[in-house]
Amino acid sequence: MSNRTLTFNIFRFDPYRPEVAPYMQSFSVEELDGMTVFVALNKIRETEDTAIKFDFVCRASICGSCAMLINGRPQLACKTLTRNLPKKITLMPLPVFKLIGDLSVDTGAWFRHLSLKTKSWIHTDKAFDPQVLEERMDNQTALDIYEAERCIECGCCIASCATANIMEDFWGAAGINRVARFMIDPRDGRSGKEYFEVIGSEQGAFGCMGLMACDDLCPMELPLQMQLAFVRRKMLGLGFKV
Amino acid sequence: MKLQHLLTKDSKTEFYYEVLELIAGLFLVVFLTLHILFVSTIILGPDVFDALAQGMDAYHLGTIFKSLVIVAFFAHFIVAGRRIPTRVREQGIVWRHAKLLRHPNTWAWVFQVITGMAILVLGAIHIWVVFTNSPTGAMGSAMRVQAGYLWFYIALIPLSFYHAGVGLYRQFVKWGWFPRKPVGYIIIVITLTIIAIGSVALWAFMQLEVS
Ligand code: SF4
Ligand code: SF4
Ligand code: FES
Repeated sequence: MSNRTLTFNIFRFDPYRPEVAPYMQSFSVEELDGMTVFVALNKIRETEDTAIKFDFVCRASICGSCAMLINGRPQLACKTLTRNLPKKITLMPLPVFKLIGDLSVDTGAWFRHLSLKTKSWIHTDKAFDPQVLEERMDNQTALDIYEAERCIECGCCIASCATANIMEDFWGAAGINRVARFMIDPRDGRSGKEYFEVIGSEQGAFGCMGLMACDDLCPMELPLQMQLAFVRRKMLGLGFKV
Repeated sequence: MKLQHLLTKDSKTEFYYEVLELIAGLFLVVFLTLHILFVSTIILGPDVFDALAQGMDAYHLGTIFKSLVIVAFFAHFIVAGRRIPTRVREQGIVWRHAKLLRHPNTWAWVFQVITGMAILVLGAIHIWVVFTNSPTGAMGSAMRVQAGYLWFYIALIPLSFYHAGVGLYRQFVKWGWFPRKPVGYIIIVITLTIIAIGSVALWAFMQLEVS
């Protein structure tokens, strides 16, 4: 494989030094076989600028922390191979989330807030008895729940959503997908009315404009269109009842 | 929780807006399609056109439709328009976002907002002109087209069917009734066909000898 010299244009900004306006800094990196954007970034940090900020933990598309705008589109740095990109690569931090500096944003606080707002835990009155066997769940339901749980909270769907970009308290596809996960869970005792209060609003199901950037760009390829539509149809039914 | 959010928390309003958006939107798409097909009977000759127009007037269908359309037109403007980024800052964000993302559906929406604004003006003029020139007849319409309204319709037809096509697609996508990609292709084909029929109809109006 003929190795190219890649040019990375990287967004630089430090919120603690607001007097320095954001700027793009360029770095050259020799491409290696099977190189990901994450590997290239580490190279830049080792050899060029030790202060450059970006996040990663697992480097295997599990933790969701390395999402950034790669040539304008939200993607995981550890999953994106440089060979699929042109020679010039622009890196910017995800929009919507709080900027920590350079390519690093705080998705954690955003998702924690989401969990609290959508009360993302099983609501039940049943007392837990450790001696008794767990109730059986049919396989399809378990698979559907698992499908929604594959979300790694990377924030790509939120960053790619035009609504989330202009409406600060919109929960986006990740949030609505999260609620869908509890709606199909037979262990969750919440009533239709309670669900409607949680998600039958502009911040939830009705804020979505159907632009499908989330569906097209989720790196885990979650069926987000169907999750959004499922919750929306549920809300249509409930809206006339509650 | 902030005071205003607490006191105005009525998710039912959002819900009814959403239902209204769906109904008014679908109604306008159906109306628009029937409308252009009816007008296109001019291709079959002015007699067919006039017979249809008179037939509709005989049952007051014209008046009923016209009133419904005015209501739907403005209802749609209010409910669908609540999503339009109106602040300069929002517009800047959306524009930058669309350019960065290079995502076809997002661009389709940006142009839908722009065409919507154009239709609000052009459509209102069209409704006004047609209503003040009733009853509708082939000769009167041909005269209008030939007197310079041709360019008006050359703009209005593609703008409205683009807007309607994208709107219909997004409703289908949002409610998830059909798989996304096939629905998109089918709507593109139908939209192009309708625009073609409308163009032929305009041509037919231009060919009519007006006395
Ligand atoms: S739904 Fe997909 S894009 Fe959104 S946070 Fe989860 S994994 Fe990321
Ligand atoms: S489909 Fe809805 S949630 Fe997904 S990007 Fe579009 S507006 Fe956002
Ligand atoms: S580093 Fe964990 S997802 Fe990329």
